[in-house]
Amino acid sequence: MTERYDVAVVGGGSAGLAALKRLSDLGKQAVLIEAGRQVGTKNVSGGILYSKKPRQGKTHNVEDLYENFEKEAPVERKITRYILHAASKDKDFAIDLTKAHEYQSNFGYSVLLGRLNPWFARRAVEAAEKQGGGLVSGVHVRSVGWSDGRAVIETDELEPFDVKAVIAADGVNSEIAEMTGARSKFTPQQLYQGVKVVVKLPEQILEERFGIGPGEGAAHLFAGDVTLGHIGGGFLYTNRDTLSVGAVYHFDSLVEKPAEPSALVNALLQDPLVADMIKDEVAVKQEIDRDLPKEEQLRARFAVSKLIKTWNELRDSYYSPAARSKLVEGGKYKSDAEIKSRLDLIKAELETKYGTKFVTDYVELEYSTKLVPDGKRCAMKKPYHNNILFIGDAAGRGVFIGPRIEGLNVGIDDAVRAADAVAKAIDRNNFAPEYMGEQYAQEVEKSPYTRDMREIDKDYLKTFLDATKDVPKDIVGQRYGVVFRLMSSSAFRGLAVGLANMLGYDKLLPLVESEETYVQVPIEIAERLGKQVQKTYEPTIPSVAERVARLKYDDDRQPHIRVLDAESEFMKKLVTLCPTKCYSLEDGKVVLQHEPCIECGTCARETEWRHPRGEKGVVYQYG
Amino acid sequence: MSDLKVAVIIKLEPDFSEGNVSYNADGTLNRAETKSILGPHSAIACQAAFYAKVRFGAWVGVGTMGPPIADAALAQAQAICDADMLHLYSDRSFAGADTLATAETLRAGIAKMDGKMDIVFSGHRASDGETGQTGPQTAWKLGFTFLGHVIDYDVDMDRRVVRAKRLVSLQGFYDIIEEVEAPLPVFIAIDPSYKPHFNTVSQRLAFEKYSQEARTRVANSKQYLKTFNAQELGVDPKLVGLPGSPTIVYKVEKIPKAKASRKAEVIDGSSRDELRRVAAKIHEVLGGMVIK
Repeated sequence: MTERYDVAVVGGGSAGLAALKRLSDLGKQAVLIEAGRQVGTKNVSGGILYSKKPRQGKTHNVEDLYENFEKEAPVERKITRYILHAASKDKDFAIDLTKAHEYQSNFGYSVLLGRLNPWFARRAVEAAEKQGGGLVSGVHVRSVGWSDGRAVIETDELEPFDVKAVIAADGVNSEIAEMTGARSKFTPQQLYQGVKVVVKLPEQILEERFGIGPGEGAAHLFAGDVTLGHIGGGFLYTNRDTLSVGAVYHFDSLVEKPAEPSALVNALLQDPLVADMIKDEVAVKQEIDRDLPKEEQLRARFAVSKLIKTWNELRDSYYSPAARSKLVEGGKYKSDAEIKSRLDLIKAELETKYGTKFVTDYVELEYSTKLVPDGKRCAMKKPYHNNILFIGDAAGRGVFIGPRIEGLNVGIDDAVRAADAVAKAIDRNNFAPEYMGEQYAQEVEKSPYTRDMREIDKDYLKTFLDATKDVPKDIVGQRYGVVFRLMSSSAFRGLAVGLANMLGYDKLLPLVESEETYVQVPIEIAERLGKQVQKTYEPTIPSVAERVARLKYDDDRQPHIRVLDAESEFMKKLVTLCPTKCYSLEDGKVVLQHEPCIECGTCARETEWRHPRGEKGVVYQYG
Repeated sequence: MSDLKVAVIIKLEPDFSEGNVSYNADGTLNRAETKSILGPHSAIACQAAFYAKVRFGAWVGVGTMGPPIADAALAQAQAICDADMLHLYSDRSFAGADTLATAETLRAGIAKMDGKMDIVFSGHRASDGETGQTGPQTAWKLGFTFLGHVIDYDVDMDRRVVRAKRLVSLQGFYDIIEEVEAPLPVFIAIDPSYKPHFNTVSQRLAFEKYSQEARTRVANSKQYLKTFNAQELGVDPKLVGLPGSPTIVYKVEKIPKAKASRKAEVIDGSSRDELRRVAAKIHEVLGGMVIK
């Protein structure tokens, strides 16, 4: 007999987990199916998680859903400084956007989903088990069909089961949306491609460098020269003892003038200002004398590796108040000073005995990429299909307006609205799209985020413009001169915004989101107003191959991608656009080597693209 | 709670993995320097018991005969099978036991568990003794039907019957899989190739639930532990330890090393030229094979 459950949530990201939690809190039985071996191993975010308090309407915030979120969740840092940098080759002009960051928000935390999502999962599962539901990981949903009004879910790993309703939270490359025909694949115009590296930086060095207190954090955005002429920009967020450094670009801009995603993030890492932010003291091994006997060489190699490992770990602990006091209280060291002298001792031993050099460089931990749906352009008009409700990235929802970058909180808000609609449907035993789907669509319509995806918020614009008031108006150029002047004057702003909203985002966006605003204007600002910045060292940037080698994979011998037309123009561009260089050109045909794939979906548009089977594929540690 | 009760007998064994094992100059195991862990075959037996827990909500007890430090192996076993009870049979008089004397101690221990057991699991053999006899002998002493080399099993709870697949390897023949049925109680020696499968959502949910429970229990594993000496077990001193052992190991000989039949060349792959040599060698060996 087929097993039956009330609700299936497909996808264990922040949105899917929120749906499971909310449904369970409402006393409904829900089962979440996650493809990764563990929750959090397939998720990537920029990222900042916001909690909002809009003047009109109400958002469902993370702390409403998870009790004691701020006290107990493994978030990284509460962002208290938000700076936009206009950068040219050697000049930088900083615009303080902290006010815009705080606009109608309760808080914004930097997060790493590899740490945060498992915490969400524990909370959600505790609640779900009480209702006879729970979370199943390592299972990939292959298809959804219908029988007697119930959705029948087939997976690669388990026997089929059926449910009354499905919440699809399977991300930007939603297979459920595609296989059911709920929406077509996103076009390059509707997507951003994001590439991120996580950089290691000891806790207190980080706090001192960014001028922030314990638990506080800084966010920096970059425009101008670092974009290599593409529409988009860079970001750097402080985590507890790491930095998230990434580049996000309009995907159509990249398709038009193909640039390697890794080159874009490298340009950012090499920017003198960013290079200075990520730098750290790094031990560099010396070549081992090849004339020594083999055993002697081996012994030296092991000894150096072990000493460097100890030095790194002890140094991390020394610069972390919690870890440091644990070492002292645990009796391993008598005082902080003793840890320091031990550190110096190891360093001296490495230098004198093995010729190890200690240089200024940076340490990269993880390379990741993700497609981001631009809510303004691709939010589903009808975020449901039959008895399936789509939430978060799967529904193409996110708020990205200039420096306002919000995806996680939008997904959580969607999840609560979808869960509420499903709960009502269970109470009435009516899962027809005219009832449940419409209920949800109306709920989504009420979401303040939906409003933000459609029209300009003039108060937000004011906060933004106030922050940029030092920028001479003539730089903005002939094209926007009038509009900009109108917007900057409080008397006319209402009128200008009104006019702009009449035009609508469709017509407005191509004007505003141009090479001029992302590249030329920032460069000119930096050149005219910026401070000189000088590069103090040259960061050693790993190649894509080295970055891939550092990632963990559970390789699936069956490729999850099939190339449809090996000679199409788009596929040929993927040789450049794939972040892990899965594609190469042989005799004019595109050849796929799926092993390094990190499942971003950049190639999904013109391939038969599936997520790997359960547990297979890339396993992110930070995310 | 389901009315299925299972026990697992396990063994604390030297950790033979690289970096942990240490040998004396004469080639015998240096027991003082070598760490001890839950034996790899015991771990597989625990997985089989966990399957019973997930599928049938079985009560699970784990027992071992060994020195007091064997409690570490019991905790490792609990982490795998979410055991409800841990038994340690420890007494100086148990020392020097062969398989038969060990079986006697284990029989007495299993009798002290929560009522009568329906299934008792053991590993295929121990990695340090390699006899594979303790399991069958315990089964014989318990009077249970013995099923060896089991690679898969299921329980028909209504009929109270075990259905098992046995891997039978006979020299000179193809391996065969034999399907057998036996009424409870049975003793199952698990084959190393056993892998539990959980194929439905409810089984996966139960798997997650009991895995979580196991993590919580292991944190307080001492609370689940009961230690018994010979007197508490009520065993006949003549049947356990050295006095109860008809066999003794009086000499261990090293097997002479076989002559190498292949020639190996070590290439230090640290420079480009060396790597080219490796590539050339591979090319030479693979010859006309095409890798796509």
